[in-house]
Amino acid sequence: MTLDQVILFTVDLLALFSVYLIISLGLNLQQGVTGIPNFGLVLAVAGGAYITASLSTRLAIYLLNVHTSLDPIVNNVTVLQLVNPILRSSPWISIGLLILFLIIGGASGALMGLISSAPAIRLREDYLAITLLAFGEILNVVGTGYDPLIGGPAGTSLPDIFGWAGQYRFYWATLIMLLVAVMLFVYIERLVKTPFGRVLKAIRDNENTAMSLGKDITRYRMSSILIGSILCGIAGALWALYSGAVTPSYDRLDYTFLPWLMVLLGGMGSNVGTAVGTLVFVTLDELIDYFKYSFAPFLPFNVVWLNYLLLGLLTIFILIYRPEGIIREKWTSTPAARPQTGEAKPG
Amino acid sequence: MKEVVTSFGKLRALDGVTLSVEAGSVTLLIGPNGSGKTTLVNVITGFQRPGGGHVYYGEKEITGWSPQRVYRLGITRTFQVPSLFGKLTTLQNLLVADKTHPGESFLKSHLRHLWINHEKETVEKASGILQTLGLAEQSDKPVSVLSGGQMKLTELGRALMSDAKLYLLDEPISGVNPTLALEIFARIVSLRKQFGMTFFIIEHRLDIALKYVDYVNVMASGKLIAAGAPVQVVSDPKVIEAYLAR
Repeated sequence: MTLDQVILFTVDLLALFSVYLIISLGLNLQQGVTGIPNFGLVLAVAGGAYITASLSTRLAIYLLNVHTSLDPIVNNVTVLQLVNPILRSSPWISIGLLILFLIIGGASGALMGLISSAPAIRLREDYLAITLLAFGEILNVVGTGYDPLIGGPAGTSLPDIFGWAGQYRFYWATLIMLLVAVMLFVYIERLVKTPFGRVLKAIRDNENTAMSLGKDITRYRMSSILIGSILCGIAGALWALYSGAVTPSYDRLDYTFLPWLMVLLGGMGSNVGTAVGTLVFVTLDELIDYFKYSFAPFLPFNVVWLNYLLLGLLTIFILIYRPEGIIREKWTSTPAARPQTGEAKPG
Repeated sequence: MKEVVTSFGKLRALDGVTLSVEAGSVTLLIGPNGSGKTTLVNVITGFQRPGGGHVYYGEKEITGWSPQRVYRLGITRTFQVPSLFGKLTTLQNLLVADKTHPGESFLKSHLRHLWINHEKETVEKASGILQTLGLAEQSDKPVSVLSGGQMKLTELGRALMSDAKLYLLDEPISGVNPTLALEIFARIVSLRKQFGMTFFIIEHRLDIALKYVDYVNVMASGKLIAAGAPVQVVSDPKVIEAYLAR
């Protein structure tokens, strides 16, 4: 690999890592911290991507005062030729729109989380898991069949909110995505260490006992699903904005099962473990992708399947020999119980 | 409780049980295994709906109330098999019992100044309880590393955190060494005297429990077969036949 190739590879990897980290943090909050097995993550991710894609050009036309009678989805390419030059000329307008679109993405994710979990939130974990799994498939069907959403099977493009960076677009886009991912990591890590986070863990560890202590299990589980779904929606919106286009092809494998593998690999219940697992998984996946064709002459099967084979084997190895993941969930001491300088520790 | 009936299939776990617990008393419930003692506690605390009958707390009927409502009313319980939060520390297991922690609200959890003082007070109270129960050294360890007796004590500590009026304790000293078991019962009596709490205790270790209780109820095969002062009950022939002679 040349230096330029290494840099491009790293930038690409970090972009993918950022998006998957946000999704994995959302999953870890739901499953690792609260004990809700969400196999329908794709619904929130796709919801964030599709609704952001659907609204972004419409909102850009309105907010940037672009005069056109063309349909923003049907005549998407032509409309964006009017919008993108404005965005290219102003980083601040672009950043403002980015924040707005991420809010829309998060809200969309929350809506999807609410729709998918409300009917089943009172069910026990395995029944809730099956319900969430079923709902995850719905949005792709809607995206393919309902053209006004994102233009049907062909999909739609989004305003280029990173266009102001010119030739450095992907570098700046990656940096901003990484920044968003880090901010959300810090937020979730702090949230889990509050008394609210403590109740989520209690519900995970022993739901009946948490009930016997007066905790409203339904409310807390719903909160966890909503927060996790907001994160997934933001990730979906970010990826759509980074890619510049969306098609109704957000599948369960990429946006539900792969995050599950990342969190399992890193350590369920630990945000740091989730980050490590995501980084390891994405790095290995990208490396295999980059080099796999070199192995084609030596393998008795099509190298297209090499990622699934190797990463699947890795997952099995981890589940057998280190089921708690690379980084075990650590029990956190209570913030108020930590000794101040000169004071003895309580008890 | 009046005429409470509960069945599991064909098994009549509670068969028209009528009993009352005097406020401010320490009442013992004994009986052979499978006599319905834990089921009775489950019915009172909302974990089991009765098939018939009524449960009252003072003048208020609480039959069929959810466990959350029962807890908020001022009734707390421990479990026959310790039911702790396995990945939380011993201290955190007690902190979860706090009924009114502002930091447990999702919105308020974002504003640390709204809950940090309450957290400190709760930690201080929990640490004091752990100190009394001899668990101070285990305060910051996950409960999964505790012995069975220590788990029982942690559960008792969690019950004491709740500031409840009525405590339903299911075998609180099983697995606990005799010296500490005596201290626990002595503390229960002292809490009753100081704060007027009511204790309803299931226990098999009569050598320790009988010294401290005001009343004894005896169950066998889902029925209440005797109730009264300890001396009177343990000499009742029905009780001797059903339980004490075994």
